[in-house]
Amino acid sequence: MLLTFDDVAYMNRDTARESGTPNIRMVWASRRTPGPADVDNYIGPLLQGLTRPLTEEEKTGGTWSPENPRILFEGTLEEADKFYQQTRHIPPPLNAPLAIYTDGSAIRIPTEERVKEMLSGTSHKPDELITYQSDRVTRRTEVGGAAGASVELRKGDAVQFQPLKRTATVEQVAVNAVMAGCKPEFFPVVLAAAESGTLNGDNVMIVVSGPVVKEIGMNTGNGFLDPGNPANNTIGRAGQLMAINLGGAVPGVNRMHASMGGPFNRGGMCIAENADGLPEGWRGLNEEMGFKKNESVAMIFGPSGIQTNFGGQHSPGGYRALQKSGHGGMARRMGVKGIPGPHNFLEFHAFSLWANREGAYTFIIVPEMAHHLHDYGFKDKKDVYEWLWKKSFIPLKDYRNRSWPDLITNGWMGIEKTSGKHWKELPDDYMVPLVADPFDNCILIAGGPEEVILTLSGGRNSTAGSYPVFSVDAWR
Amino acid sequence: MAEKEKIYKCLSPVGNTEPVDIHPLAPRLDKIDGKEICFSICGEPDITIALEKELKTRYPDVNWTIKKTYGTNPVRLSEEEMKTCQGVIQGVSW
Repeated sequence: MLLTFDDVAYMNRDTARESGTPNIRMVWASRRTPGPADVDNYIGPLLQGLTRPLTEEEKTGGTWSPENPRILFEGTLEEADKFYQQTRHIPPPLNAPLAIYTDGSAIRIPTEERVKEMLSGTSHKPDELITYQSDRVTRRTEVGGAAGASVELRKGDAVQFQPLKRTATVEQVAVNAVMAGCKPEFFPVVLAAAESGTLNGDNVMIVVSGPVVKEIGMNTGNGFLDPGNPANNTIGRAGQLMAINLGGAVPGVNRMHASMGGPFNRGGMCIAENADGLPEGWRGLNEEMGFKKNESVAMIFGPSGIQTNFGGQHSPGGYRALQKSGHGGMARRMGVKGIPGPHNFLEFHAFSLWANREGAYTFIIVPEMAHHLHDYGFKDKKDVYEWLWKKSFIPLKDYRNRSWPDLITNGWMGIEKTSGKHWKELPDDYMVPLVADPFDNCILIAGGPEEVILTLSGGRNSTAGSYPVFSVDAWR
Repeated sequence: MAEKEKIYKCLSPVGNTEPVDIHPLAPRLDKIDGKEICFSICGEPDITIALEKELKTRYPDVNWTIKKTYGTNPVRLSEEEMKTCQGVIQGVSW
């Protein structure tokens, strides 16, 4: 018997089928009715499900092997436009049509000719299965394994695309890349993102680092988050199409935080790092993650979709006043009134970073601000991460009055990491870090001259397990 | 043939579902009294606490094995429990 919420019935049925138990009996709990009254409603059916005789269908075994023809449609381009844009109605709580093969917007029809052209962007064969190009540890959900459990994966293991654990070939990735409007030269980046298999997050962002950024003309400067750049836009969109088509994602149904979804997932989000904007001694994302400066990578970030903290609130003019002459409100709060910079502006933002959330952050800052941090004294990005981590400590008595720690500590039954002691043994004034590891924080350099910061809740380790970074060069 | 009427073969973007062995449901119990039933639940205490209390109160003759966690992943049954449990109630409240 499975006890769950009725609004996730669609997802549970999908998962049960993929796990080989499509007929598992389910009983629904309520999200609103208080526990004791709710139990009254379902405890009878829950127990009866253990004794009620099985139906013929429930007794039936066999093999489920859905067909997936390579050619999905034959017709004119006009007919294909209609075919690929078809929708199906998703029952409540969504209760609206969703596109079956797309993100809802028109796509470029994946004709054989166009897919062949896309495949010219890689040396990998069309029928090659997408496999891991290096050994790694991930939180991939294994068949028969606990959801989210860490597993070790070896180079050559087939990538399972989440959420339905499907596999895919290079050609199938190319089909999605065509549909997204990618050019063949973008394809190795799309393949690297595909290697993650985990593009079904509640708010996914693909970050590209290394020489490929310039090679394919990604925008790392002014307006890099805005539309218009073909590589930024279409690679991000390919990520979402792969989640839907390769992984079987049904946005609003089988994603975490489906109740609202994630703003980055609307059209897909891909950005790139401005390596030229790095201060001296600061390493780019590729080098931080163990690759060489001349190697290109794609990393999958999962900034929180709903428990989000977008943007750091300071006025560019106020920031300039702080750094130029120590004037203005930022300087007053930081206690540096009248003292010219460089100042550590993160001190200003740290005031509210963890006011109502826990965990690491990804900061996207413009080159000038990165240089201010460097000139202030952070000669390595790691120094900033360490500073942020130390800033995150709060007394245990305050830590208890938050939402997520109930979950993170398993109801305060586990061991506190920094002390090695049971949570219930620690005194109220014991200082607890709100960021698990300094390196979970991440700083990316992008943007133009105006002094702004994009603060994203969720660091580099917030999705797909231990650092989901993938070589682009392996897919050239 | 006009370009507009040209017939194209268009490829599928859908990933491959590996064949899945479908398991029939386990045989049902003739009664629950006297049986060993595992109650494994993950998620919200507003459900887990109330349900555990009611199960034990209303069905005192069942030999309950309770597995619960606040987290998102159910606590797995041990090999021994897999052999001895005659029924499983799995709760996922997220």
